[in-house]
Amino acid sequence: MAVESMQDIKRRIKSVTSTEHITNAMKLVSAGKLRKAKAIFEKTNENSHYITHTIAEIFNSHPDDVPSEYLEGNREIKTTCYIVVTSCRGLCGGFNSNVLKEAQREIDSDWEEPVILAIGTKGKEYFEKRGYNVFDDYLAPPENISFLETREMSRPIIEMYNKGEIDEVVLIYTAFISSMEQEVRNITLLPFEVEHDPEILKHNKQVEYEPSVKEVFNYLIPKYVEMMIHAAVVESATCEHAARRMAMENATDNAREMLDKLSLNYNRARQAAITDEIIEIVAGAEAQK
Amino acid sequence: MANSIKLEIITPSKMFYRGFVELVIVTTLEGDEGFMYGHSWACKLLDIGELWIQEEGANKDDFRIAAIAGGFIDVKDSIIIYTDAVEWAEDIDKERSQHEKEAAEAWLAEHKNDGDPRDIEAARLAITKANVRGQVAEGSHRHGK
Repeated sequence: MAVESMQDIKRRIKSVTSTEHITNAMKLVSAGKLRKAKAIFEKTNENSHYITHTIAEIFNSHPDDVPSEYLEGNREIKTTCYIVVTSCRGLCGGFNSNVLKEAQREIDSDWEEPVILAIGTKGKEYFEKRGYNVFDDYLAPPENISFLETREMSRPIIEMYNKGEIDEVVLIYTAFISSMEQEVRNITLLPFEVEHDPEILKHNKQVEYEPSVKEVFNYLIPKYVEMMIHAAVVESATCEHAARRMAMENATDNAREMLDKLSLNYNRARQAAITDEIIEIVAGAEAQK
Repeated sequence: MANSIKLEIITPSKMFYRGFVELVIVTTLEGDEGFMYGHSWACKLLDIGELWIQEEGANKDDFRIAAIAGGFIDVKDSIIIYTDAVEWAEDIDKERSQHEKEAAEAWLAEHKNDGDPRDIEAARLAITKANVRGQVAEGSHRHGK
């Protein structure tokens, strides 16, 4: 065993202990935030999934009524808009890098110049550093983004889509499976893909649209995009806290393990010093004889 | 007894109402319209206005009234109303509503000519919403009652 000086080991123990305190505190904080975010998420999730399903069902059951520019296969996909949902703070393990990796993979598979909407500073920094066109960003912490704000976010997207500046809208975010498990998902919001699912029967019932088919869908489609973005932001915020809690828990565990080793080393070094001293005394006494 | 139909009213943050009703009256963009069991399928946009529902088993003139901030109604075998915001008449904070209205009016008076058209539109909407909420809270009745 390499004998480090007791002083050095003591110093390291001190620094690791303070790190452990910090990570442990952060773990507790994110556990609390996670609980709060999860409650909001569960409430929102139920409703927004319900509503997006309802809208999707309207699209699916009456594909002939949907204005064709919103349906898949009716326009050539050139420019894609990626909405990348990341967090604003680090120290959350692989949370951001997973999302960014997926986004980068998607972007690389498409040779056209992408248009990026970054939600969260991490995504913005990543893409700006790499020289991509980040046309808009929202940097407020995701847990504070309200539905009204997501509405503001989605408006320019719909406008650009209608003007033909973008032909596809892809949403990349982290889905919450459990506190232990999160998964990066990417969803194509527009153009809308009609599921040719035999489960969803084509109804031959006449549906009354008021004031007109066009206006109804002009309302529903932005709404659908808004709801999806809102749900993704809320979900991603929950995932961020879950990921941070996990990361901090691991960091705390590692710090504790390190402390154990260090205190063992410290004791050994101390014992070695004592033994040395005794040997010196004994040797001294022997020499006196 | 009349047949009842399942009604669900959803906002982005919560399920506002879920239950069986005999009659729902909403303000569509074309005017007031009532929906009952067996209505043909419809998908209509709603205006800012009042929402009246007659719950299953309620008396003939017994309505629950709410103020609703636009949205859409999807009528199939059940009715789904989606809206950005909705409030029962008894929950409306009249003072706050009045306050918001005054703030919006003051803003509009000041920025009538130089404001962003979107903001002006938003302010007008805010005034309309406040008016409807005021009306609903005061218990003003429509349908000739």
